[in-house]
Amino acid sequence: MSAVLILTPLIVGGGWTAISAAAAGAAVALGLTVRSTAKEGLKAAEQEQAVAARNSVEVEVKNSEVLENVRTEQQIVLRGRDGVEVRVKRDARGRCVVCASGKGKTKAELRAFAERFTDRMTQCFVYNRVMTELKAKGFQVMSEERAQDETVNIRVRQWEG
Amino acid sequence: MPQRDVEISISKNGEVKVHIKGYKGKACVKFGAFMAEIVGKIKSQQFTNEYYEPDEKAAIRLEQKQGK
Repeated sequence: MSAVLILTPLIVGGGWTAISAAAAGAAVALGLTVRSTAKEGLKAAEQEQAVAARNSVEVEVKNSEVLENVRTEQQIVLRGRDGVEVRVKRDARGRCVVCASGKGKTKAELRAFAERFTDRMTQCFVYNRVMTELKAKGFQVMSEERAQDETVNIRVRQWEG
Repeated sequence: MPQRDVEISISKNGEVKVHIKGYKGKACVKFGAFMAEIVGKIKSQQFTNEYYEPDEKAAIRLEQKQGK
């Protein structure tokens, strides 16, 4: 053994593409489907109005920073079977936020779902980044499994040439 | 040919535990910095006995001297 490190994730780098990929991964895991990836201001404004008619909560993705070239109107809209809608977007400060809304849902229920989605999105973001970088460095994946507590355990190996 | 194994656990909130094996000395520090650059900030780090062993190149030189 050499060292054990504990790392806190930062959601930076990769821009909107990386955020979109992580959001899509979280959506699949939590049973959501992609409704749209709005890019036009008008569409986004219409969706804002629709959300205003329902209960909604907004959760900031911890330690996140979307690149400056991502426009505030860019967002991903996801929908669950129970009518919950999740929108992933960047706020005015450039941070990534997750907004959950839905009729018949309490704010507490929506907040819990938004936080669960945010956690899973962060996990997907980190997973994608780690796997891409390690494979580029010549590591081979020896095993990979998801534990009952939803932790992803990966074992990689590199032969020193 | 020496192998380097790394065990990575990504918790459900994205926190990452990295267990680095087979790296010694500066190589271990360098790989730790690489992982931190990929993931984010180092929350804690603990070096094990192997970290304090001399780098492999230095160990080979020592063997050559003993053979003379």
